[in-house]
Order: sequence, then C-alpha cells, then structure tokens
Amino acid sequence: MIDPVIIRPEIALDDFLPIFVSSAFVLIFGGFYVGIYTAVKVNLLKKWTMPIGYFFWVLTAYCLYIMGNLMHVGEFTAKALVVAAFGLLLLPHAVYYMQDNVHEENEH
Amino acid sequence: MANNITSESKQLATWYFTFAAIIFGAQLLFGLVAAIQYVMPGFLFEIIDFSVARMIHINALVVWMVFAMFGSVYWLLPDETGIETVGIKLGKLLFWIFAAAIVVVVLVYLLVQVGPADETTIWFINEGREYIEAPRWADFGIVVVALGFVANLFLTGMKGQRSGIVTVLMADMIAFSGLYLCGMFFTDNISMDQYWWWWVIHLWVEATWEVFVGALAAYGLITIIGAHRKVVEMWLWIEVAMLFGSGILGLGHHYFWIGTPEYWWEIGALFSALEPLPLVAMFIHVLYDWGKTQGQEMGEGHIDEDHVKSVVTNKPAFTWFVLNAFGNFLGAGIWGFFHTLPQVNLYTHGTQFTSAHGHLAFFGAYATILLGMMYLAIQGSNGIKVLKHTKASIWAVSLITSGVVGMTVALTIAGYVQVLVSRAQMGATWAAYFDGQSGMWFAQAMDWRLVMGAVTFLGFLFLIKDFLSTGKNPVHER
Repeated sequence: MIDPVIIRPEIALDDFLPIFVSSAFVLIFGGFYVGIYTAVKVNLLKKWTMPIGYFFWVLTAYCLYIMGNLMHVGEFTAKALVVAAFGLLLLPHAVYYMQDNVHEENEH
Repeated sequence: MANNITSESKQLATWYFTFAAIIFGAQLLFGLVAAIQYVMPGFLFEIIDFSVARMIHINALVVWMVFAMFGSVYWLLPDETGIETVGIKLGKLLFWIFAAAIVVVVLVYLLVQVGPADETTIWFINEGREYIEAPRWADFGIVVVALGFVANLFLTGMKGQRSGIVTVLMADMIAFSGLYLCGMFFTDNISMDQYWWWWVIHLWVEATWEVFVGALAAYGLITIIGAHRKVVEMWLWIEVAMLFGSGILGLGHHYFWIGTPEYWWEIGALFSALEPLPLVAMFIHVLYDWGKTQGQEMGEGHIDEDHVKSVVTNKPAFTWFVLNAFGNFLGAGIWGFFHTLPQVNLYTHGTQFTSAHGHLAFFGAYATILLGMMYLAIQGSNGIKVLKHTKASIWAVSLITSGVVGMTVALTIAGYVQVLVSRAQMGATWAAYFDGQSGMWFAQAMDWRLVMGAVTFLGFLFLIKDFLSTGKNPVHER
C-alpha cells in the first residue's frame, strides 16, 4: 500500500492566528489612516488629528511586515507588499488632490 | 406599487426589483436548509439534499443580484439620460422571458435534481458549475436577455444625454454580459474548464460588478444627498481605473492550485495585494461626499450642529449605501486579504474561510447597495419626498447585518479549525478532512452559523414588511 503524501506545513502552527490577525489589522489600520485623512480634509475632524492618521499608516506597514514575515513570503511578494504599503500612503493624497481641483473648478 | 411612476423604464425597474426580492427570499430560505443540514445531516435527506439546497442558495444569490442590477439600470436611465429608455417594450418582453426561465430552472433543480450525467444533464438540468449552474438552454436564454438589455442601455445612452455614470455602465455591461460566455462551454481538461469558469466568477465580482457598484454609489450619492456630479464622477473614474487595474489580474489568486503555471503565484500575489486599495477608495468616496455636502449645508446658515438639517432624502437607502462602503471594505477587503497570498492560501483554500469571505463580501459589496436601490425605487414609486426610517426598516437593517456578520464570524472560526487540523496538522488528507469537521469548535461554529442565518431571515421578513407598508406609512414626507 502506498502511504498518503503528507504536505508538511511551512507555517508554524502557532503562527496562523498572528497571520490572520495582522492581515486583518493591515486593512483596519489602513482604513483608519485614509478615514482620518479624509475626515480632516473635509473638516469633519480637527487638523491636529492628522498625525494620528499617519501613525495608523505606520501601524499598517508594520502589520504588513509581520504578516509577510510569518508567512515566509518570497522576495517578489515582499516587494509587492512594500508597493502596496506605499500605494496606500499615497492614495488619499493623490485622490484628494484631484478631488480638490475638481471642487475648485466647479465652485469658484 | 408603481402609482406615481410616469416613466415606463422605472415601471420595468420595479418589476425587476420585485422579482429580485422574491429570489432573495428563496436564497435565504435554501441557505437556512443547507445550514440546518450541517447541524442535522438527516434533515430533508433524499428530498432536498445538501447539494441541491446549496445549489439553489448560491445560484439564487447570483440571479437576484443580476435582476436587481438590471432593475437599477432601468431605474436610473431616465434620470441620467433625460429620456425614456429606448426599446422599453423589448425590455418588458425580455423581463418575462428571463423570469419564466428562472422559475423553470428552479423547478427543475427542485423536482428533477440530478440527470444521467451526459449531455442531457448539461442541456436540461444543470451544468454543474458553481454559481452559474443554469442548464444550457437557459444559458442561451440569458444571453439573449442580456443582449437585449445591453441594446436598451446603449441605444438610450447614445440618444440621450450621456453622463459619466451611463458611459461607465455602457462599457461595464458589455464586459459583464460578454464574460458570461466564458462559462458556457466545456473542455475535457478540468484545469482548463476551471480556468475559463473563473473568468466569469472573478471578473464579474472583482471587476465588472465592483465597477457597477461604483456607478450605483455615484448615482445614489447624487440622488440621496445631492452630491456634486462632477466630483462624484471624478471619483467614479478613479475607482474604475483602480478596480480594473488591480481586479483583472487579481484573477491570479484563483489560479494558485488548479493546475495552471506557477507564474500565477507572483501575478496573483501582486495584484491581490493591491485589490483592497480601490475598496478603500470607495469607502473614502462616501465619507468625502457626505462630509462635503453636509458641510455645505452647515455653511449655509445652519451653523448649529445639533439642529442642522440632514441632507439625506432617503434614510434607509443611505443606510444601505453606507453599509455598502463598510461591507465592501470588510467583506471583500479584509476577509479577502486574510487569505489572498499563496503562502497562506495553501492552507485556507476550500475551507470555511472561503465561505466566510463569500458571505460577507457578497452581502457587503452587492446586497447592501442593491437593497438601497430598491428603497430609492420605493421612494420614487410612492411619490415620497423624504423617506425616513421606520421601526421595520431599522429592525431589517440591524437583523440582516448582524445576522450576516454573525455567520461570517462563525464560519471564520470553523475555517480556522480546518486550517489548523485538516491542513496544517494532518496534511490535507482524506482522514484530515473528517477529523477537522468532527471537532467541537467546528461543530459549535456551525450551530452558531445556523442561529445567525435564522436572524438574517428574520431581518428579511422585516425588510419585506417595510417594502410593502411604505406606501401607506404617514411618517414619510410627501
């Protein structure tokens, strides 16, 4: 009889929960970052809260690092995650810049 | 229902919405049957087996959403183009053909269930492809209906004023309809078959449907809170670029384990990592427009924040639209990102993790906004100026949302057990599968999934009560 092939785990058993939690926090913190940025820009929040928004981006990037590290991602995927992290940093700036210009054109 | 509607296109939209609501109920009902069977395996055994209940559950999901999407387009077309929809009589005829075909297909699923596993089954019973299991005769019918729908949309868009929203919808609906063709043919090789099947499923839900949602959100924000059209349409174009930019090649995350070349690992990893970005953008979109419009209202003399007049003219619809922004971000974004990279997807693939993601993503990204569109139609058809929340609408939104979130949490716990036991500890063997399913945590999670499914269904009953009683409810401003 041929023994069944067992696929040995490459991820340690104890690492699964931190992986799922950190990947969830990537987007939760990311959401807080863009949410606070936008809320400050449309005057729903006071300006002093903006650094808190950027702090959430730092947390996002850190969670992304933890997640990638625990997953043992390859070189290419690690680069992809860095691109995604910087994409998230730039996204609200670029979008708000364009939106503000459209608003200016139409309201003044 | 449609007493106050003068546009035939909007009248047709209410037909689509009504049929969609009925099929939505069927989806939830058969979902409940399947959930009960996880807990009590003998329930309706050999009458409606799990395979049949699940088939109807997930196919009804797709069908009611497609009906509601067609309804949404017929509803917004006269507003966006300034004219009556061209070829509306054809549209009405196609509605009846579509509805009749769906009724026949469901009856065959229920009464015939399985065929002789040859060409007869494919042509007359089901094709055996998840989500798009309609037999081939119905496939051709669906193609005819979709072509007629696209013709209505294009002819109207070309004749009337073509707004950015209509332009996006015209392009999107061509892709939406065309992609269905990829799920209509078989190849002998299962990997190749799955390869094409994913073109329909992934490129629908993570590309064309998301763009569709972007267009509906744009229309909704203009209609409900009076957001500035140019700003909203600017957002829409950004979202379209981002969604297609990340969504099309995000397809790669479905190609990790089906026998396709390994370069899909890199492609899937890169574009899947970028896929949450447009969802974040859509989330900001609603916040941005709401903040700007409400801020403008406050700036025009209503300085007192406690007494500022709300800019929202349809509160239930706006609640569903806001839930869409959050739900899309949570369900498609977070629950998708959990297991989108190949390193972890190796363990989560095919577990209840996928089911958790599917429940929250379909609800958050699509069901919410389509229910919001139904409320817009109810407002219009009853001639209501400001549609307010009622007890039934609050119960509906609370119970449906908490029910779906509860199901998602329960399925995530069940999936986590499978990842640890069936995959990581026991190496994905046949015995591992059953060991994973027999654990206490898995069993209890499935019990809670059933409870939360019942909560969702209860919420649906409140929703229908609210739909049917809105016309006579004096609480709304007319």
